[in-house]
Amino acid sequence: MRRREMMASLLVLGLSWAICQPAAAGDWGTIRGKFVVDGDVSAPAKLEVTKDTQVCTAHHPVNEEVVVGAGNGLANVVVYLYSRSTPEIHPDYQAQADNQVAIDNLHCAFAPHVATLWTSQTLLLKNSDSVGHNSNITCIYNDSKNVLIPAGGEVPVKFEEKEKLPVAVACNIHPWMKGYVLIQDHPYMAVTKADGTFEIKNVPAGKQQLVFWHEKLAYLRGVKIGDGETSRKGRLKLKVASGDNDLGVVQIKAKDLAAG
Amino acid sequence: MMKANSSWFWARCGLSGTLLGMLLLGLTGCGEAPPARFRLNMVEMVSSEMSRDQQIGIANVLTAAFGTPDEPFAMAEAELDLKKLKAAAGAVASDQLGNEVGLYRRHCAHCHGISGDGAGPTAAFLNPYPRDYRQGVYKFKSTERVARPTRDDLRRVLVEGVPGTAMPSFRLLPDHQLDALIEYVIYLSMRGELEQRLVAETFDLDEGERIDQLPEVAEITKEVVAEIGEKWAQASDLVINPDADLAPPTDRSPAELAVSIAAGRELFHGERAACVKCHGTTALGDGETTDFDDWNKRLFKLSESKPDLDLAELGALPVRTIRPRNLRQGIYRGGRRPLDIYRRIHAGINGSPMPGSAKASPDAAVGLAAEEIWNLVDYVQSLPFDSLSLPPEQLVAPKRERL
Repeated sequence: MRRREMMASLLVLGLSWAICQPAAAGDWGTIRGKFVVDGDVSAPAKLEVTKDTQVCTAHHPVNEEVVVGAGNGLANVVVYLYSRSTPEIHPDYQAQADNQVAIDNLHCAFAPHVATLWTSQTLLLKNSDSVGHNSNITCIYNDSKNVLIPAGGEVPVKFEEKEKLPVAVACNIHPWMKGYVLIQDHPYMAVTKADGTFEIKNVPAGKQQLVFWHEKLAYLRGVKIGDGETSRKGRLKLKVASGDNDLGVVQIKAKDLAAG
Repeated sequence: MMKANSSWFWARCGLSGTLLGMLLLGLTGCGEAPPARFRLNMVEMVSSEMSRDQQIGIANVLTAAFGTPDEPFAMAEAELDLKKLKAAAGAVASDQLGNEVGLYRRHCAHCHGISGDGAGPTAAFLNPYPRDYRQGVYKFKSTERVARPTRDDLRRVLVEGVPGTAMPSFRLLPDHQLDALIEYVIYLSMRGELEQRLVAETFDLDEGERIDQLPEVAEITKEVVAEIGEKWAQASDLVINPDADLAPPTDRSPAELAVSIAAGRELFHGERAACVKCHGTTALGDGETTDFDDWNKRLFKLSESKPDLDLAELGALPVRTIRPRNLRQGIYRGGRRPLDIYRRIHAGINGSPMPGSAKASPDAAVGLAAEEIWNLVDYVQSLPFDSLSLPPEQLVAPKRERL
């Protein structure tokens, strides 16, 4: 892969030398946008709690596959920079490079439901419940993990490699619990909030590709975002300008999110 | 450098192309069975939406890197013994001196399949299903959870069989045949692991691109096979060897043993070890019966996302849930020595829902200490002799009534 990248970048360098001036080094842009559901989505189904009912049913866990918030905003859309090699990291991110990112087992659900992890960071698997949980993370490029987290405990785990897709987090003790974590070798990733908005700060300016993924829809395919449309692999080509890059409101049809 | 790297690759692709051509021309006719072929991992192909063209690309790279069921090949990076592989591969035969070849097909393929996919002709009738080697995931081994098994681990499974399953003991095979089979099982695993990675690499390519047509395909393949080879080579460094000082002495008094069993019972039913959640309050393995192992979970997810898909057409077996072990029977698939059970609890069982429960390091805040794992071992080993585990007392009717 490396040789190919090198050849490609040499070619690109040559071309850009001849044709135009590449974006000046040190230019960074912030990408923002908002996902909104077009239509009505039925209320999330209650999950069947078969175990530890005292702890788990107290907060009425529901299916979090599709979470729609205020103003029909679609939460938990994962947005990340696609890059074959590690992109340049803005100095502002260095302060977070050694951070711990927590996934808590709270009321027999994963909080957050979708987490993002930069490979330099540590994933902290926590358990704030009074019952035992385990976190089973099945990876393709990393070693999978399945650790037991006693009530009130926490277990730090590290991942060396980036994963192409968010990987599933499961609790085998409580099989209704589902979550995801996206592992990348850079910090340029976001998960839409309850109102459907996301923001990725200080992305290297110039031609970039973003990937859009959602638990229910998998890759967001053929979705109009800004001036472009996502590919079969959920990728959007865009030119990141220095400063603000607002992709606007992205409409997702309610019927695509319907169960089935 | 580049050219030299690619030449072996294309030479091998060319060879497989010729074989394919011969097959197409019907030169293998005359009542002979067609040569055995490795089957692609169609579950992976469909899950990752590989086009037919891309599948052919992946198959070509696999043939170049690992050969065919009749003509196995191993790159230097795989660190496999080709001589052993050749004894295990191919059709079942023996020469005039009685030297047997085709050992894998003689002893293993009917359950584990030619490709090592655990879906041979007999597999559908077995519960549990035979192991699918292609992920490099093995359950019953001496190493840390995600580590590959050692060659000794595989030998142990071959010699002892897997109690409580259809896997028999091959104790009667001579050592060199066991060696050949172990090598071949690792070979099938590595091949499957490469296949999985090629799917992931292809995923990155543009629509029309095929992995076998990339100029750097030889380099990618070497890199990935070296990574896989290293994982297998590292296994023997990752064996779980509990601290001998913390192990219970062999000359314990019944009273000392009872104390340990009681401590184990506490842990078993408590929230720290949480064994009871899946193995059930009775330890009959009825606490959690709706979960899947990794292999079936993959199938289940695929069938959920594509409900119209016929899994059987992909060569997959029907999806099954996994049952936690019934601990009252005294049958332990990974071996019944205290050390075997210690390792199961320490690392959990890779590929299954059973999590590892040992501390990550001796001074880690969370996890079970070695002494606690030994307490659990004692409790688990006491369960088959517990009054609940004994068969119900036979009620014998008075003589007169029997008449």
